[in-house]
Order: sequence, then C-alpha cells, then structure tokens
Amino acid sequence: MNKTLLGYVPNESPIYYIHPFVKLFFLLIVSLFPLFVTAPEWNIGLMLAIILLMWISRVDMRTLKIYIPIAVSMGSIILLSYTVLGGTHPEFELIVRIIGVNIYWERIRDAVIVYFRILPMIFTMVFFLTTSRERDIIVAMRSIRIPFVVTYVFAMALRSAGMVLEDFQIVRQAEQARGFDPAGKSIAYKIRQYVMYMIPLFALSLRRSEEFTNALVARGYAFTGEASRIKRPDYILTHYQFKALDLVFTVVIGLLFIILLVMHYGYNFFGMETSWLIQLLRDVVS
Amino acid sequence: MSKIIEIEDYTWKYLNTQQPALNKINLTVDEGSVIGIIGPNGSGKTTLAYSMDGLIPGQYNGIKQGFVQVFGKEVESYAKGELQRLVGVVFADPEAQFTAMTVEDELVFGMENLGMSIAEIQERLEWVTELTDLTHLLEKPPYEISGGQKQRVALAAVLAMTPKILILDEPTSMLDPLSRRRIFGVLSRLKEEQQNTIIVIEHSLENLIPLADRMALLYEGELLLEDETQPFFQQTEFLLAKGVFPPGVVKFFYELMKAGRYSGNLPLTVETAQSELVKILTGLPKQETKSN
Repeated sequence: MNKTLLGYVPNESPIYYIHPFVKLFFLLIVSLFPLFVTAPEWNIGLMLAIILLMWISRVDMRTLKIYIPIAVSMGSIILLSYTVLGGTHPEFELIVRIIGVNIYWERIRDAVIVYFRILPMIFTMVFFLTTSRERDIIVAMRSIRIPFVVTYVFAMALRSAGMVLEDFQIVRQAEQARGFDPAGKSIAYKIRQYVMYMIPLFALSLRRSEEFTNALVARGYAFTGEASRIKRPDYILTHYQFKALDLVFTVVIGLLFIILLVMHYGYNFFGMETSWLIQLLRDVVS
Repeated sequence: MSKIIEIEDYTWKYLNTQQPALNKINLTVDEGSVIGIIGPNGSGKTTLAYSMDGLIPGQYNGIKQGFVQVFGKEVESYAKGELQRLVGVVFADPEAQFTAMTVEDELVFGMENLGMSIAEIQERLEWVTELTDLTHLLEKPPYEISGGQKQRVALAAVLAMTPKILILDEPTSMLDPLSRRRIFGVLSRLKEEQQNTIIVIEHSLENLIPLADRMALLYEGELLLEDETQPFFQQTEFLLAKGVFPPGVVKFFYELMKAGRYSGNLPLTVETAQSELVKILTGLPKQETKSN
C-alpha cells in the first residue's frame, strides 16, 4: 500500500500508470463541470462516475463512509439556509407555512441543485487526494513549467501544515500530562483554554522556520544571488513519462469540457427545465 | 596535510546576549582529518559548527571578532550558496532539516541546487543510498521513517553533495545505540574510502574516539583543550573537572593509574584496554595474583 494525501492505494493500482499532470488536470477541469450543469441527475451521474474511477483505482471504498456525515450535515445546512433562512419572497410559490416561516418551492429546488453541484466537486477532490501523494502535485506543477520557487513554496506549505498538526498534538499531550482536561467543560471554557495552545505553537513555529531556513541554506539553496541563477535540473521528473495514454486522457477530459460548454450554451442542455429529477421532486413536494 | 579551516581569535556574541557564545577561539583543521568536538550543553559547539558553514554570521545577528577562514577565504566573503558547496552540515534534529516529500527528493534536492547533471545525480544517488543503506526507503516520506533512518537520510542528503568538509552537529543525540553505531560506521567508511575532512560534535565518546584523529574541548565558549585523541584523553582529570565523562575503559585505567597500578597511555577502546589488562595481569607476581 502507498500512502496518499487522504488514504492508501495498493501498489497494483492502475492509477500509477497515469501521469500526475493528468490527475491534476482532471481535478481542475472536472471540478468545473457542475458549474455548467443545473439538472441534478447529471451531477449525480458525474458523482457515480467518480466513484467508479475510485473503484477502478482500487481506492479503499470504506474511506467514503467518512464523508457520509459531512454530506448529510452539508445538505441539511444548505436546505435550512435556503428554506428556513431564505427570507420572504411573495413572487415564489408557497408550499407550506411552518411556525410563521414560509417554505417556497423555488428555494427547495435551488437547495437541491446547489447541493448536487457541490457533491461532485467534493468527490473530484476526494478522488484526487486519495490517489495522489504530495510528490504527484509537485510533479504535476513542475511538468507544466511552473517555476521551481512556486512549487517549492507550495510543497513547504503542505509540509508545514503537517508539522503544525504534529506540534499541536505534542502541545496538547503536554497539557494533558499536566492535568488539563477540557472534557465536559463548556465551549466558552474550551475556547479560552485553547488560546493557551497558541503560545507554544507560535514559539515552535518560529523555531521550525529558523531550522528550515538553516537547512535550505546548508543545502546550497538561495532565492536570490549567484546560487539562485544556477539552472536546476529536475531529477524527479525523469521518473515520470508523459505517455500516449496520458495524452489521450488529457484530450478526452478537455473535449468533454468543450462538449459540455457547447451543449450548455448552444443547446441549453443540462438545465433544470428539462430535468426529470426536478420534475419528480416538484410532484413529491406538491 | 594542508590547513582547510583556520580559526583565529574568533569571538561571536549573539545579539541581545551578555556573554559571547564563543570567546577567542583558535583552531585549525587539516585536510582529511577527523576532529571530535565535545563539551557540555551551552558551551558553543553548535555556534562553532554554524560559524564554519557560514550560517553565522549569514543567518544570525551578532558581533563577530577574529577570523574564520575556510580554504583560505573568510566565510563572509563567499557568495551566497558557494560555501555550502564546500561545507556540509548535518544538524542534530534530522526532521528539522527535511525539505522534501520523499527520501529520494530529499537526497537529490542539494544536488539539484548545485546544478549537477541528471546522470551525475543518478550516480551519486546510487552511491549514497548504498553507503547509508537507504535504497529501500527512497519512496517513503522522510518524516514517516524511524529516528535512525531519518538521521541516515539527513547525512546522506549532505553526503550526496560531496562537500569537502562535513560537519555533524550531535548526529546521534536522538538515536539508540545500534543506530548510533550505524551512523559512525558510515563515517568510518567515509574516512577510509573518501578521505573526507569530518568535524563531529558528539556526546557519545565510545563511538567518536575510534574515529577521531584530534579532539577539542569547548567549555563556556572557550576552547580549553585541543590535541590528538590519545594525549587528549591522557588529561582525564582535567576533562572530569570540566564535566566530560570519558568512556568506562578510560576511567577504569585512570583509576588504576591513580592507584599506582598502571603507568602507560590510557587505552581508549575496549580492544586496547583488553591487551593492556592482559599485560598488567601477566606482569603481576603470582602471590599477588592469588591474593587478588
């Protein structure tokens, strides 16, 4: 098993045949699909397609269970914001009035549309993160000639996020070892007490940045000056070949996006007017 | 052997401190030699290491007096990144020096900075992973491996840049005895096969002594003692007074010496101690041997 950003993928996974750039391209382009699709059934279809890709990539599907509570709570929040907190709209069709709150058909419909737009975006991100390592992101960025400094700062940000979390655990354990137990206390108390984590965390971060700077200087790296002008070879990129299959995938993803745009703007496809799911919902609500 | 580092009347005081971290240091390092630097915590060992790599005064604010010359040139006069190609530093906390996401990325990072060709990087990578036994870890994130492996990665990352001078600042302070031995095993190979100039700041004297040609004692920012390893440890009483505890065999023979039972050079390793002990025991009159 290989550790990825959000889980593990077995060594035999076909995802390793795909160049990291294709994965990043998939994330960036496919995430845009739902923005041009209003009919929820198409977005549900996209979501299922991504789940299928995860299955083909041999991602441990049990990890998807983690996202069920998130999906449920997100759906509830969206629905509440659109309906209960949606305000008064005399121009909309009133479905029911509960304790003085007007529930309109249009607000329910919009909530469902938005929810099923966000879900595939999240699934695309989950697919990318469960099948990619930090190195894949860096390789993908470098393969499209993004300057080394930019990719390096991005890598450092990824790494420092992990380090801050580790440091937070250390500080928390140290506090607990000295008898601090926020269990059962009020939220206000917890927030007040969590502030005290910030001081050692801040001090640790300062120390870490000093050590990190020293490490960079000691390895001959410089952002400015003579040393920064040396042409850096990119050894890691030599491990990754952009094959014909990668080109095919990239073209297919690009073409799908173009087709989507043409269908959407040219033929008014994927709209809610033609959505059978919206129609079904309309019948149920009425 | 030519002098590769020359430190003359060197004093360094960090900004906002009362006492200098290093005070009037005079030290020369010959090419190809191995120097062990010891001393209690806070004696200025890390400051000295940073001074030889140009991290001081480059990265720190303070007041400098005297000279620190590497290859006959003052450290400040090197262009940015130039000195680091000649002097490699391995820090005490390996994790703090990791700059990449996989062990392989970590090892090649320095070489890429030097602008080496891909073929050269490949060749050096193979050499250094074989030397430090890291081939099976290349794909792993460096912060997810064991402490000993982390320190080997940190060492390998610096070695891959093939610096002329290698400075190790307490490289085994976080390691178990076995991992310590492996690190020192690598250093021994480097000494034998590459004739590197190595400066090791270390508390683990059992491992350091067989490797070091010379030893230096830093105490409260001053270089109190500097000599070849054997005569250095002859001054056991002085070392003990300064909080340095020599290995058990040295102390044992020192006690024998104090008791008038031994008069030669203090053995520094178990092997030499064993042969010295055999000499003592075989030289004893029979009656005395029996009574003992």
